[in-house]
Amino acid sequence: MVSTVEKIEKNVATLKIEVSSEDFNKAINKSYNKNKVSFNVAGFRKGKAPRSIIERQYGENVFYEDALDFAFPEAYSKAIEEHELFPVARPDMETIDQISASEGLTITVSVAIKPEVVLGEYKGTEINSLTYEVTEEDLNEELLKLQTQNARLVSIDDAVAKDGDTVILDFEGFNDGVAFEGGKGENYSLVLGSNTFIPGFEDQLVGVKVGEEKEVNVTFPEEYHAADLSGKPVVFKVKVNEIKVQELPDIDDEFVKDISEFDTLEEFKADQKSKILEAKLISLKEEAEEKVLEVAVGNSSIEVPEPMIAEEIEKSLQNFEYRMKMQGISMEDYFKFTNGSVDSLKADIREDVIRKIKTELVLEKITEVENIEASEEAIQEEMVNYAKSYNIEIDKLKESTTENEIEYFKSLAKKKETVQLLINQAIQK
Amino acid sequence: MLSPHDIIVKPIVTEKSMDDMSQKKYSFKVDKKANKVQIKNAVEAVFGVKVEKVYTMNMNGKMKRQGKYVGKRADWKKAIVKLTEDSKEIQFFEGI
Repeated sequence: MVSTVEKIEKNVATLKIEVSSEDFNKAINKSYNKNKVSFNVAGFRKGKAPRSIIERQYGENVFYEDALDFAFPEAYSKAIEEHELFPVARPDMETIDQISASEGLTITVSVAIKPEVVLGEYKGTEINSLTYEVTEEDLNEELLKLQTQNARLVSIDDAVAKDGDTVILDFEGFNDGVAFEGGKGENYSLVLGSNTFIPGFEDQLVGVKVGEEKEVNVTFPEEYHAADLSGKPVVFKVKVNEIKVQELPDIDDEFVKDISEFDTLEEFKADQKSKILEAKLISLKEEAEEKVLEVAVGNSSIEVPEPMIAEEIEKSLQNFEYRMKMQGISMEDYFKFTNGSVDSLKADIREDVIRKIKTELVLEKITEVENIEASEEAIQEEMVNYAKSYNIEIDKLKESTTENEIEYFKSLAKKKETVQLLINQAIQK
Repeated sequence: MLSPHDIIVKPIVTEKSMDDMSQKKYSFKVDKKANKVQIKNAVEAVFGVKVEKVYTMNMNGKMKRQGKYVGKRADWKKAIVKLTEDSKEIQFFEGI
């Protein structure tokens, strides 16, 4: 097997690969063994005709196509190794210069290779401070949320309805004095200010009392789905049956006991504080990560080869399709809903994909430049995380991991280290 | 007098005949009237090989019918020619 690099242009290498007739014959034999069953030759049962007989009858090239598939991967990987290329996409078969059992095989392929990354400044990025002090307001906000979640609705007879209250009412709508379809309801509970009904309706109910009857004048919005009602002024006759007021529980030890495993408000507050802090720190860190990566990528220059982008787009599309399928939506339906097409979707995700590729490449380069190694513990941690997210027992995962997979976890760990390094060397404001 | 090419009608290429080749035995359809000596001479003349032995057999033509009409394919003779150990092989796939 001989191979030569013809040229490298824009991170796309053109390779000329020659496979000797001996090797190619082996590939043809494989191809023969795979396909012989499908050839019918008089005098032979199916699959029993010798290769030479089939070739005489069907032409010499009947086995070439599959033989090419057999011969190519091996020859290709050898060529890649020989010239120390790092392909990032599937190779493209450009021309088949020669193909015959007696002369061997000569093909020209082009393949996108890993682009050269020229790193810019990636240290000393300005990021927001990574420390955070939990304030009273944060805590109060959290407590209020809990209060509303645990609020009870209490029916009050002499209440005057205000925003946020639940009003239980009968209503009937009239268009020019005629009741229209779907405009009637009984004992409907409506939360004022929830914008469930057409605009204006709920506002006019503020201030009503139990037992009160009221005419509500509203105009249907222009874009209302029923054509005969859109834009029409109508009258709703409303009778208020009941008004329920949200009663917020007091925040005290009792409340805490009800909703948590803590006994006193103090303990609960301390716990909430640490939880808020944790969440804040995580989001701050994520923000910082994003920022340092963005700057690092922005300062470096990379020429991402087209095939690499195309392949990555293809991958994300498949991923997307798979996710849609999980939700029971086929791609055709999706495009119908969104008025899109595969091409428009591709164009949409193109920028994202390029950014993703660039980030990966830059990270890799920095890892290389900074000589970052992943510690054994870090790799272990990655594996544990992986096992957790896929619900696999960690021991089982360890049993079944191959060398390649370990390499993968290692690269993950390395990547984390690198990002950590970037953050460490960033300047906190 | 039959010429060598009149005697050898065509080689027979089947699974069985291909198997026999490993024992240097080659199968031919030959003229019905040819005898073993004639076949031996014809094969030696046409392919330039040395023949050790010839086996012959008469094959009955198959009965064929189309509705009520019964027909019969021609009877023919099959010859299996065994070459001597030191003889070269017959490349008889050309022109099949």
